[in-house]
Amino acid sequence: MRRLRHALAGLLCILLTFGFAPNAWAFCGFYVAGADAKLYNQASQVAIAHNGNQTVMTMANDYQGDVANFALVVPVPTVIRQEQVKVVEPDSLTRLDSYSSPRLVTYPARDDDPCTALSDLFVSRTYGLYDLAAGLQTANGRRLGDSALGVTIEASFSVGEYDILILSAAESDGLTTWLTQNQYRIPDGASDVLNAYIRQGMKFFVAKVNLSELDRTGFQSLRPLQIAYDSPRFMLPIRLGMVNAQGPQDLLVYLLTPQGRVETTNYRTLEIPSNVNIPTFVRAEFGDFYQQVFANAHRQAHETATFVEYAWDLNVICDPCSADALTRPELATLGVSWVQESDNAYQLFSGDVFLTRLHVRYSRDRFPEDLTFQATANRNLFQGRYVMQQLAAPSGSLAQCSQETLQTLREYWEQSAEPSSRQDFATFVEDLLEPYSGYDDYPTYHATEDPEAYVQRFMRIAFLKHHRNTMTKLEQGAQNYSQLTGMPIDQVRRQISAYSGEGGGYVPDVWKRRYPPSA
Amino acid sequence: MLRDARDYQILFLAFFLILGVSMRDWTLQPVVVGVAIATCLVTQAGLSFIQHQWSLRQTIESTAVTQEPLPFNWRSPLITSLGLSLLLRVDHPSTMALAAGVAIASKFVFKVNDKHFFNPANLGIVAVLLLTHDAWVSPGQWGEDLWYGLIFLGAGGLVLKRVGRWDTTAAFLGSYALLEAVRNLYLGWTWDVWAHRLMSGSLLLFALFMVTDPRSIPNARPARLIWAGAIALLTFILRNYFYIPTAVFWALFALSPLTLMLDYLWTAERFTWKPFRSPSTPLLPDQT
Repeated sequence: MRRLRHALAGLLCILLTFGFAPNAWAFCGFYVAGADAKLYNQASQVAIAHNGNQTVMTMANDYQGDVANFALVVPVPTVIRQEQVKVVEPDSLTRLDSYSSPRLVTYPARDDDPCTALSDLFVSRTYGLYDLAAGLQTANGRRLGDSALGVTIEASFSVGEYDILILSAAESDGLTTWLTQNQYRIPDGASDVLNAYIRQGMKFFVAKVNLSELDRTGFQSLRPLQIAYDSPRFMLPIRLGMVNAQGPQDLLVYLLTPQGRVETTNYRTLEIPSNVNIPTFVRAEFGDFYQQVFANAHRQAHETATFVEYAWDLNVICDPCSADALTRPELATLGVSWVQESDNAYQLFSGDVFLTRLHVRYSRDRFPEDLTFQATANRNLFQGRYVMQQLAAPSGSLAQCSQETLQTLREYWEQSAEPSSRQDFATFVEDLLEPYSGYDDYPTYHATEDPEAYVQRFMRIAFLKHHRNTMTKLEQGAQNYSQLTGMPIDQVRRQISAYSGEGGGYVPDVWKRRYPPSA
Repeated sequence: MLRDARDYQILFLAFFLILGVSMRDWTLQPVVVGVAIATCLVTQAGLSFIQHQWSLRQTIESTAVTQEPLPFNWRSPLITSLGLSLLLRVDHPSTMALAAGVAIASKFVFKVNDKHFFNPANLGIVAVLLLTHDAWVSPGQWGEDLWYGLIFLGAGGLVLKRVGRWDTTAAFLGSYALLEAVRNLYLGWTWDVWAHRLMSGSLLLFALFMVTDPRSIPNARPARLIWAGAIALLTFILRNYFYIPTAVFWALFALSPLTLMLDYLWTAERFTWKPFRSPSTPLLPDQT
């Protein structure tokens, strides 16, 4: 009966795998949780769709104060006209965020249950099924800057709940004064930075909230602003945002390009640590864990690098998925105009779209330049992935399992032929196990040995292997965690013993005795 | 002490490569490096052989036959391949093979008076950037550790002193730094921005090993200084007004033919690789 259930489960899993995941050969675990923008205090989020000279930049807006005081100033390479500005739903960036955030995944307990180690040789292998938990979380927004004065108003228009001005200035003091007089509060020190942009011939995109429009739309929070422009400059100005900052700021940039992964050309681009096994107690604290991982990696890079958290060809299915796949309308909203719906079932789009998620933690002393990007031809897939391997205890005691296995063998023997014509039990077992002789270092069976004694011998070895394997995996997870977060290894081991929450998995008593929970 | 100055170059380039692989999280793949080295050496061997046969045939037709053994110049292609491995990134090894093949072949094809005027690695890079969609250069890959820059400077200086072209590096870096400084002043940025703009590893690597390749740059010193300054100017323009991140390579490519004109204007003795020994030892034959 158990065999039948196992066989059905296996069949179902195969069907699911091949039905829904074309790249089933690269199964990357089941999604448990994500580390999205909410983790960071006031993280800015910007999405940039870039194709040739066409750029569409979407800036999330999470201004928390009195909207009457809100003002946004962004240096832009060209004059922007009304038709180039849009307000988009906050959902657009939220979706990008949840789709690409670093993720915690779990593998089902490997079927290395020593109890069935022998019977599995001649019975089909079994798999477990777990629910996929997709966590869609809302992203938060961005910070803003103030600027000021002295100026030609190249354009003035309203879009949604915003009043927008495009300014060009002759020099920054004038610009500062103008903006101050027009109720845009500008921090001290911004003038110098503005000057550099003025000298480079850049314009200023200035947005304020139109209170009556905001009342009319009935939105509680301000929506993201989107600017489209044509320019060979593939960059993101961050210097203005640093003027009034206390301490480092977080920025998440989502870059959508046809070619491949995007990197910064004036700062080193590194990948965050990924594809590591970690202990199961991380399930209860993944957010904190990832914050530490990132902070550590950032520090090791002398705080001067940008980090790739996700780089994926959007035509390739996510694995594991932390959110539903991005659809063509969603991408079009973000400015991806170079793809169409695909007419075949194997691709989501006709045309290439590559999503890169860069996490930049910048401060004035470490990031003196604005970010300059380039799209490379690197189409390697990367995601921040942290793996908890579920370990399982043996499903019975040594004696029990030996008995059960012996029973299974007898049943097989009895069903193999009529009592009159069948071999004796020992020979039958020898023939049955002969194809697997030497498998995985298990002892070979010869008919001269008592089958019962053999099964017990086999079980002892299987249990020992399982135990060693479990201890090794736990230690590996502990070492990885210690390296990634800097927690002392001993403390990690004790925490593994102490964890009794959901999804903890099997921790052998030996481990708990060696590293008792309380220090 | 090593006999041939190129051995130092090979050592240092290999050192940077290993350093990069072990420390800097690059997209360096051993397969791609292997392909670069193999293609360079094989192409060099093949084309040298063909050239040798061709010149032999000509000799046979005109004078008596003298069988000269063909010396295999493995150092120059190895340097080219290491340079390519350090600077060029590709998605498929075949693209690297193309770059390496073009690089070495250019030495045999683009020659005037038996001097090749394109830096091989540079031409290889430019060729795949133009002809394929599969290659890129990462100007920011080296990071900003001053310490790193110092290693570069130190190693390069050592190499260059051996070869005797430090003036070209100084002319290039100096002109470029000066231009960037002027721009920095004009924009009103603080000086850390200027320093950051110069701390590109690719730029330093280029200045130390590419623009000083003694076999493809002008022979006379005044010519070299003018030439290096011109490259610096073009790099500056391409980077800051055309927003091309790989400006240095295009600048060198565009101005390489200028070498010929400068050589014509300033004739000086052509450079050959020599061992550092007393004058009594015989010189190595003129090698490509």
